[in-house]
Amino acid sequence: MILLEIHNRIVEETLTNKIKNALDGNKPDTVDVTVADFDGVLFHISNPNSEKSKIRVSISLHFYKDLQGHGADELIKREYAEILTSPEDGYNVTVLFDLENIPPNWEELVKKTSLLKRNCFASVFEKYFKIQADIEAAKKKGTAPPKSERAVVQYREEETMYVEALGDRVTVIFSTIFKDDDDVVIGKVFMQEFKEGRRNFQQAPQVLFSHKDPPSELAGTDARTGDNIGYITFVLFPRHTAPSAKDNTINLIHTLRDYLHYHIKCSKAYIHTRMRAKTSDFLRVLNRARPEKKKEKKTFSGKSIRPS
Amino acid sequence: MAATLKPYLTAIRRTLEAAMCLENFNSQNIERHNKPEVEVKSSKELLLTPIVISRNKQERVLIEGSINSLRISIGVKQSDEIEKILCHKFMRFMMMRAENFVVLRRKPVEGFDISFLITNFHTEQMFKHKLVDFIIQFMEEIDKEINEMKLAVNSRARLSAEEFLKRF
Amino acid sequence: MTEKHTFGGEPISCYSFSKDRNGLALSLNDNNVNVYKKQGDSWTETGCLTEHGQRVTSIDWAPKANVLVTCGADRNAYVWELKGGDWVPHLVILRINRAATFVRWSPDENKFAVGSGARLISICYFEKENNWWVSKHIKKPIKSTITSLDWHPNNILIAAGSTDFKARVFSAYVKEVEPKPSSTNWGSKMTFGNMMAEFSTGGGGWVHSVSFSASGEKLAWVGHDSSIGIVDAANGQKLSVVKGKDLPFYGITWITENSLVAVGFDCCPKIFTQKPNGNIEFVHDLDIPKGADDSKMTAMSRFKNLDKRGAAGAEATTVLKTQHQNTIMQVSEYSGGKANCSKIATSGVDGQLIIWDIKSLERSLAGLKIA
Repeated sequence: MILLEIHNRIVEETLTNKIKNALDGNKPDTVDVTVADFDGVLFHISNPNSEKSKIRVSISLHFYKDLQGHGADELIKREYAEILTSPEDGYNVTVLFDLENIPPNWEELVKKTSLLKRNCFASVFEKYFKIQADIEAAKKKGTAPPKSERAVVQYREEETMYVEALGDRVTVIFSTIFKDDDDVVIGKVFMQEFKEGRRNFQQAPQVLFSHKDPPSELAGTDARTGDNIGYITFVLFPRHTAPSAKDNTINLIHTLRDYLHYHIKCSKAYIHTRMRAKTSDFLRVLNRARPEKKKEKKTFSGKSIRPS
Repeated sequence: MAATLKPYLTAIRRTLEAAMCLENFNSQNIERHNKPEVEVKSSKELLLTPIVISRNKQERVLIEGSINSLRISIGVKQSDEIEKILCHKFMRFMMMRAENFVVLRRKPVEGFDISFLITNFHTEQMFKHKLVDFIIQFMEEIDKEINEMKLAVNSRARLSAEEFLKRF
Repeated sequence: MTEKHTFGGEPISCYSFSKDRNGLALSLNDNNVNVYKKQGDSWTETGCLTEHGQRVTSIDWAPKANVLVTCGADRNAYVWELKGGDWVPHLVILRINRAATFVRWSPDENKFAVGSGARLISICYFEKENNWWVSKHIKKPIKSTITSLDWHPNNILIAAGSTDFKARVFSAYVKEVEPKPSSTNWGSKMTFGNMMAEFSTGGGGWVHSVSFSASGEKLAWVGHDSSIGIVDAANGQKLSVVKGKDLPFYGITWITENSLVAVGFDCCPKIFTQKPNGNIEFVHDLDIPKGADDSKMTAMSRFKNLDKRGAAGAEATTVLKTQHQNTIMQVSEYSGGKANCSKIATSGVDGQLIIWDIKSLERSLAGLKIA
């Protein structure tokens, strides 16, 4: 599993199970599952008002407010119109499945539900991709380009995403925290490879990495600085933001931060396994210095046996 | 094996063989005690002149001998940041298991990455030539291991970057 | 040509034979002294002396009186008398506050000397009025722990090696117990504690062992700088030194008036001879390795080795080619006396006590000629 899945598998499987169960004509059981996803996102699958025939899926993103400012509500309405309901208490978006009235395209809807998090994120990107296109179009026409501000989404505590549309490109900047000093170093190795890897993949967007200080685009903002902070910048060109490519681009970009950290952790785990193995190797070498204790065992008749 | 590694290790081996001639020696300063003189350093006539054998600025070994104990401190090659943290992690990992290693010191001597403390009690229970073998093998393999771990991190980084960028 | 004895595998810190060589007292690196009696080829334990509170550092079995003296890291020394089959200890008033390191009876057995980490030598003698052993101290100019002692045959002089890199000869004349001695080639001033001579090989090695030759005219010592030093008193106290190329020696004893055997960290006893011109020359190793021990390895031990030591072949074997498997700590004359020794005994950290028949070794080894 080198790439992270962008949908939530648990949500998908739980829903599929329940619906299949209902389709087979079995009695629905109660369900109450809370699922965590990356970036502090929580899913809650339950029966509203204890009605077993209905399944409610809610998502909570603590940065939903930031996303709302960039058209998240509209995107959600567009995508989930059929099943959207008013949000459950403490959650941002809720969708509802009626097991007594399962729509024929339920599989598609389930898949979509598992993509809730991705779609919430998508709103920001879509908005800025569009702005960029508008600016470009305005330039061609010679009219005044629309004004745009930089979007700031605090997608994790202490970690922020910045999206900005310029005339010919969209820049996406993630700030990320490395909790451990070692992660900074390993992170740097990874980012170096991202930079170099791009040479072989000309179609990929440019990736920049800066450590400690934010990139020049963020100069003058309140972007944090510090030893354990890194900034990852993507420069997206129209070929990435065009309607045909945008979904793929969004899928990739919004998971990058987690992708990076996931692989840093994997590397550390691997190093740890190696160290453990090598350490026991060394112990064996040291054991060679211990003399073999040849204990003489005596049989009952007094004959001695020397274990070889 | 690089051309300079062999003489480096040979020099260390010979020095260790000579330094590992230890005896049980009771403290001259504290009644009814027996302490590693190389650690307490209370009677200077019981200490041997410390020897530093170095291959380059980083790869060096400090061998401090005394009448009943000997301390070997090793500086491990760390040519970049990643090797540095790998070395640091590895050494810490081993030192946390010092009680299994018996001869491993829980803290390295300042300026070095890892230290071993061998006392007469160790040479009474273990063969001194095999202890020397252990130190030498440790030195041979530690560089190799750190190098391999570094390669593993790099190749994972490359692979994950490629996989990611490929999708665009 | 050698007899090997083991006593459980623990290091033998010190040993001493009785006069007839049928009794043996030794300590296995702990605070007990085990006494054995020879029965056929094996040793049967007949007693365990448990008075010491810490590791026993030295044992000497007085040949004539059949009395043991032991000393230990607990700063004490005991004289043990055999009474009705039991060894009864007598405490010795050593008046030292550091570990006792070495003890030897004087040739006449009316005194014994105890070296210590208190940077002094206690010369002990029996005080009849109080019925105990009292001591006098030789302090000057000792600057570090006394590592070994050896009495001159005249019962007065004593040689001492110390970790201050010096070998010294002192007078241990105790006027309370013996008549005024006559002068020797080592000097004439015999007041108690007088230093007759002080020697150094010039290097910086701790002196590990000292030995007077049978005549008392020659003093030999070994140091941690792998050297052997010999002073010939009859020849104007001429000093000869040889520096070995091997690991340091830890013990030395004369086997004739000109030859000695040295043992140590190399696990192999070596014979040296002093030529008439004074030069000390290496003669031969006493231990000639017989080639690799090709004992077959069982499948069980093979896998056991792979698991425990990560190797199954030669790397995993810990066996040395010499008879002693670790440092030899002590060497002593076993038969024939220092003047014309025919057998010597050695003991080591490997827990072995080996008796070497020098005479038959001399016959079988072409290069071994003992002068």
